[in-house]
Amino acid sequence: MTEHLGDLLSALLDGELAPSMAATARAHVEACPACSGELEDVRTARSWVRGLPPAEPPAGFYERMLREEPPGVLRPVRTASTRKKVLAFAGSAAAAVALVSVAAPRQSPVSPSVNRMVEAHATGASLSSDPLSRLAPLGVPVSFRR
Amino acid sequence: MTEEEVPSWGEIARKHGRFLYNVAYRLTGNDDDAQDLVQEVLLRVRKGLERYQPGSMEGWLSRIATNAFLDDVRRRRRRPLDLLPEEPESVIPPSRSADADFEAGALSEDVQAALRRLPPDYRSAVVLSDVVGFTYQEISDALGVPIGTVRSRLHRGRALLREALR
Repeated sequence: MTEHLGDLLSALLDGELAPSMAATARAHVEACPACSGELEDVRTARSWVRGLPPAEPPAGFYERMLREEPPGVLRPVRTASTRKKVLAFAGSAAAAVALVSVAAPRQSPVSPSVNRMVEAHATGASLSSDPLSRLAPLGVPVSFRR
Repeated sequence: MTEEEVPSWGEIARKHGRFLYNVAYRLTGNDDDAQDLVQEVLLRVRKGLERYQPGSMEGWLSRIATNAFLDDVRRRRRRPLDLLPEEPESVIPPSRSADADFEAGALSEDVQAALRRLPPDYRSAVVLSDVVGFTYQEISDALGVPIGTVRSRLHRGRALLREALR
């Protein structure tokens, strides 16, 4: 094997090569400074990632998980009476954006996060398309649900 | 042969919540997206979209999380306005003079920042291999790509990480 090993170096590192292949690869590494250096690079990167401590979830995370609420719990139920109320309340895209631009606290149960939904739907907001489908994910107040 | 029932979400949360959050955080790179990803895993589990495979719960959750993550990446790519992660991108740290000195203790914030800058396909392979501990075969099964693809993404991802913190 006189060609450089490339990604076989990671396979060698991870014990993913058949023994005969591994032996050939090791022999090459011993004779090839470029591959030897590259092997050390991927070994280093692997140890860095393995060494990452577990990420700490923010406050309230476990409580939210254990509550077993499905995502989108604040979406309104679309009955005729609800629809009228929603349309009356949110008469314009600007009003809807203003409604949800109140900063969402980190503990908000709304998922996905409100900020993202504001951006996603503000850019596409249109009064000519069905306002309800545009506004529904923004978290209409509970009083509007049946 | 009886089918094992899918464990309740409460059980999953209690026993594996922290693990799942960690995987989600390493994939997405920020708290809010990690929480959204955990919620998406919950949704997929509850909808029974993922057939439960008795065996490693954490492996199963990792597969769901990674595929949900990549689905979201593909969805975002289709939108002209790409949403930026809410955490600001870290500045690439200055290169260190003593390589050995640096290898001994790369700051985890620097490693995480470099991980977040990896292309999602490379990042997934690195997380499944070096955070979750999957074999190449397990990564291949999880992502539905050939083992050769797993190997090249993992290798490239690691090389980019090393380069980013050189």
